Amino acid sequence: MIYLEGVTKIYDKSSKKALDNISVHIKPKEFVIFVGLSGAGKSTLTKLITHEEEQTSGKITVGGIDYSKLKKKDVPYLRRKIGVVFQDFKLLTKKTVYENIAYALEVAGISNKTIRSRVPQILKMVGLENKGKDFPNMLSGGEKQRVAIARALIHDPKILIADEPTGNLDPKNAWEIIDLLLKVNEYGTTVILTTHNKEIVNTLKKRVITLKNGKLIKDQEVGRYTLQ
Amino acid sequence: MFTTLYRLIKTGFTNFLRNGWLSLASTIIMTLTLFIISIFLIGNIVLNQGIQAIQDKIDISVYLNDNIKGQTVLDLQKELSDNQDVKKVRYVSKDEAKQKYQEKFKNNPQLRESLDTSGENPLPASLEIKAYDPQKYNSLLPVFEKEKYKPIVRKVSYKDNKETIDRLVKLTQFIKTVGWSVAIFLMATSLIIIYNTIRTAIYTHKNEIEIMKLVGANPWFIKGPFLVEGIMYGVFGTIAALTALYILLKLLVNFLNSYFDTGDIGNNVFGFLLQNLGSLIVLMLGVGIAIGVTSSFIAIRKYLKKS
Repeated sequence: MIYLEGVTKIYDKSSKKALDNISVHIKPKEFVIFVGLSGAGKSTLTKLITHEEEQTSGKITVGGIDYSKLKKKDVPYLRRKIGVVFQDFKLLTKKTVYENIAYALEVAGISNKTIRSRVPQILKMVGLENKGKDFPNMLSGGEKQRVAIARALIHDPKILIADEPTGNLDPKNAWEIIDLLLKVNEYGTTVILTTHNKEIVNTLKKRVITLKNGKLIKDQEVGRYTLQ
Repeated sequence: MFTTLYRLIKTGFTNFLRNGWLSLASTIIMTLTLFIISIFLIGNIVLNQGIQAIQDKIDISVYLNDNIKGQTVLDLQKELSDNQDVKKVRYVSKDEAKQKYQEKFKNNPQLRESLDTSGENPLPASLEIKAYDPQKYNSLLPVFEKEKYKPIVRKVSYKDNKETIDRLVKLTQFIKTVGWSVAIFLMATSLIIIYNTIRTAIYTHKNEIEIMKLVGANPWFIKGPFLVEGIMYGVFGTIAALTALYILLKLLVNFLNSYFDTGDIGNNVFGFLLQNLGSLIVLMLGVGIAIGVTSSFIAIRKYLKKS
């Protein structure tokens, strides 16, 4: 599903390697947790997978697409196949909950009829069926994140990337989001979660890949949080 | 295709309404820009009409000797008429010249009678020449110097009036140059201001643009609503500017008419506005939409460069 081979990323105007020679293979339907302290390279890794950033060297292949051969005009189509959830939610503040989710379908040219049937379904799935008309500033942090997850899932993506999705949430809301991600994974979506929440990592008992200063230092099938 | 177009237009409209203050600020700046442009446009047209009226008054007369062959005069008249710089040539006979003289001095019996007492009509026949451009009179002079016409030409009035004509020509050119320079300067300033206003409006959406890219919107789907908003600045700016122009001219009509109590300058300007309202609306809409769309297009390009 996702192959990274010897991937290195150096940002412009910087001599430091944000990622240093990373090789990882993530299989379909896997639930993988990337663990690392701030600046370890977790977000850079997710940005490379969504093609927000390009690797400096190495090879990335996602769903059979070699990113080195990906044309700029094809990037929007790739993004529709990968759902992404962020710590800061990244919702469109001038659009309602319903419109935020519908927008992801509109950009793909989906018909209004389909949009009208699918958006309420996904809102129900994330438990926000009564919040469709609300604007993001009227929601709690947990609700915002659920909208973001609903938007990420609306295309039925094969991959869901959750970049520190619980970072801004209290423990109760954080676990609700994690439960939602587990449910999504059960339905067959590959989930990549980045976090530095020790409790979540140790409770989930999933594959854990630990990054430190841009380097992959540990890859455990059933991992634990080992950073100090 | 139509669904996408409908969505872009609808999103543009919704954004325009939801970004209330920014839309209002951009529309006000657009209104001011279009107002200034239209004022200068009308001002320039009125000015040009004034200059044209002055230029129409400039002509030269070629006074002819008495007792000359009619054919040579006709040849001269034809040669002048065939000249592409010449608008009109008119033959004024001795009798007509006398009539004109008497008409001109009807309130001055002394001067009028002086013509009668001499018995014979001393006034010469002449050719009145009007050129399209007063600057061209100079180029006609060699015609009168030709051997063929030398015996019939007594005098060319241009030589006496040359200084006045030259001064008038220079003055009108100066007024035109100043008028256009001020108009271009103000238009350029307005364009920079409107571009910066729209750029600021789009800057406030830069996070949204990032999100749109992340959910897989292609560049045109992101750009479209901003261009629609640009069109709306143009349309509402035109409506507001025309309304302001109408009110201003309506007030100005009364003021100008009462200030110049004999003239109807105000009515002329207002009449001009009403006569050319259609063209003015089309022109302002065109300019407004072009400014709005171009500014939006340039401003948003920066955020779409990176995939």
